[in-house]
Amino acid sequence: MRIAISGLICLLVLVGGLSAQAGHDGHDHDGHDHPVEKDSGAHGEEATYDPVSTIMHHIADANEFHLFGEVSIPLPVILYAPGHGFTTGLSSMFHHGATAVDGYVMNHGRVNRIADASFPEGHVDLEGEGHHFVHESEDGESAYVMAGGKQYMLDKPSTLDGGLMGGGITSFYDFSITKNVLTMMLAALLLFIIFGRVSSAYKKRGDNAPSGLQGFLEPVFVFIRDEVARPMIGEKHYERFLPFIMSIFFFILVCNLLGLIPFFPGSSNVTGNIGVTMVLAFLVFLVTNFSGNKHYWEHTLWMPGVPWWVKLFVLTPVEVLGLVIKPVSLMIRLFANITAGHIIILSLIGLIFVFGNNGASVGGAATGAVVGGLFTAFMNLIELLVAFLQAFIFAMLSASYIGAAVEDHDHHDEDHATDHHHGGAYAEKVAHH
Amino acid sequence: MYQLFLIDFSVIKPDPGLLFWTSVIFLLVWFGLGRTAFKPIQKALKKRENEIQDSIDEAKRVQAEMAQLKADNQQLLAEAREEGMRIKRDAEGAANRIISEAKEEAKAQQQKIAADAKRDIDNMRNAAMVDLKQQVGIMALEIAEKVVRKELSDDKGQQQLVDKLVANLN
Repeated sequence: MRIAISGLICLLVLVGGLSAQAGHDGHDHDGHDHPVEKDSGAHGEEATYDPVSTIMHHIADANEFHLFGEVSIPLPVILYAPGHGFTTGLSSMFHHGATAVDGYVMNHGRVNRIADASFPEGHVDLEGEGHHFVHESEDGESAYVMAGGKQYMLDKPSTLDGGLMGGGITSFYDFSITKNVLTMMLAALLLFIIFGRVSSAYKKRGDNAPSGLQGFLEPVFVFIRDEVARPMIGEKHYERFLPFIMSIFFFILVCNLLGLIPFFPGSSNVTGNIGVTMVLAFLVFLVTNFSGNKHYWEHTLWMPGVPWWVKLFVLTPVEVLGLVIKPVSLMIRLFANITAGHIIILSLIGLIFVFGNNGASVGGAATGAVVGGLFTAFMNLIELLVAFLQAFIFAMLSASYIGAAVEDHDHHDEDHATDHHHGGAYAEKVAHH
Repeated sequence: MYQLFLIDFSVIKPDPGLLFWTSVIFLLVWFGLGRTAFKPIQKALKKRENEIQDSIDEAKRVQAEMAQLKADNQQLLAEAREEGMRIKRDAEGAANRIISEAKEEAKAQQQKIAADAKRDIDNMRNAAMVDLKQQVGIMALEIAEKVVRKELSDDKGQQQLVDKLVANLN
C-alpha cells in the first residue's frame, strides 16, 4: 500500500514535472515576454507552437542545461576549429544567442560557428529583435546571424554521419561538456557511490546475509550474472567478462532512468542519442572480436564442412557483414527505443498546446492536460519497463556475441551448433519482445 | 517547416564530442567499477555461495555420520544384550552343573559314610560276635562245669540247674 502511494506520488511528480517543463517551453514559444528559445520553424514571424521542432529540440543534446523559464545551468564549452584552435568558456558567455564569442554563436541551445573567417574575434553583439538573433534562410536549411549590417552563415557542429543523416564535417568540432555528457557523468558518479557502498558492505559484513542497499542490488547483480553472463558466455569464461557486462547493464539502466526524470538532474536523452549507443556498441564489437578464439574466426571466415563456393559467395560475406551488423543492431535498438519513448511522451505533453490552440483556448488546454497527462502517466510506466528491458537486452545480446566468440569447441560440432542456436534463438526472442 | 524531417533530428547524427566523452566516462565506469566493485562483489558472492554449499555438505556429512553412529550403537547394544544373555545362560548352566556335581558328591560321600558305617557296624558286630562266642564258650564251660559239679551231687538238681542256666542264658 505504501509502495503504491509513493509510486503514485512519484508519478504525479513525474507528470507534473514534464508538464511544467513543456509548459515553460510553450510559454517561451509564445514569444511575448523574453523567449529564451526561438522557434526555428516560425521563420521570424509571431512564434507559434510547433510540436515537431519542440520535440526535436527536447530530445537533442544541448550546450546548456535548461531548468525552467529563462533559467539554465551554464555548461563548459570546449570548441575546436581546425586552423582556429580551441575556444573554451561557459555557455553563459553567449547570452542565449545575443553575443558571438570568437565567432561562435548559441543557436537553440547548441553552439554554432560563423563560417565566415572575416567575422571579428572576441565578444560581438549580434543584431536582432527580442530574442531572435539567429535567422533562418528562406529554404529553412541554413541559418544566419546579422552583425554590422552584414549577414553571416552559421555552421552546425561536425557530426560523423558522413552527410547521410543531414550532418557531416563542418568547420568546427564541439567537445563540450554538454547536457548528455553531464548526465553521463552524473550516472557514473551515482554508480560509483552506489556500488562503492555495496562493495564496502560486502567487505564489512563478510558472509552474513546482505542488508540495505546491498540487499536491494544483490538480486539484480545475481540476476545479470546467472541469467545473462553465465548462460550466454559459459561457465568457463564468464567471470572474465562480468565487469564489462555489469558496466553495460548498470550504465545503460541508470542513464535510461535519469532520462525518465523530467527535470534537472535527468531529462537528458542520453541513451537515445546515437553517439552514446555507438560507443557502447563499438566497445562490444571490440571486446567480442579481440576475445574471439581460433574457432570463432575459422567459423566466421571459412566455415568448415561447407563446399568452398558456398563459403566464398554466401557464408563468408554474410558472416563478415554479421560482425558489423550485430553491434549496429545493438546501437540502433537502444537508440530507437529510448528516443521513441521520449518522442511519445513529449508528443502527449504537446497535446496540451495543440488543443490549447497556441494559448487561445484554455478549455482545450485543460482537455489536453487531462488526456495528455493520463496517457503520459501510462507511457511513463511503459518507459520504466523499457528502461530496464533495453538495458537487459543490450547486456544479454552483448554477452551472447562475446559467448559465441569465446565458446569452446572441444565437443562435437553438431553439439555446439545446437547449443549456439539455442542461445542465439533465446536471445533474439527476448530482444524482439 | 522543414523540407527534410531528418534535418533537425540531431540525435541520429553521432557527435564526435559525445563519442569522446561517452568513451571516457564508460571506460572509467568499466575499469573503475570493475576493479572496485564488480570483481570484489563477485568474489564475495562466490565465497559466500561456496561457504553455503560447504555448510550444506558438512551438515549432510555430519548427519550421515550421526546415522552411522546410531546404527553402530544399536548394533553394539544388541551385541551387548546377546552377550549378557549368553553370559547369563552360561552362568545358569554352570550353576546347575555345580549343584548337580555337589549333589553327586554329597550322595557319594553319604554312600561312602553309610558304607563305612555299615562296615564298622559289621566289624563291631563281628567283634561282638567273636566276643559273644568267647563269652558263650566261657559260659558254656562254666555251665558245663557247674552242671558237671551238680551232676555229681544230684541228678535232679542237675536238671534244674541246666534249665536255670539256660533260662539265664536267654
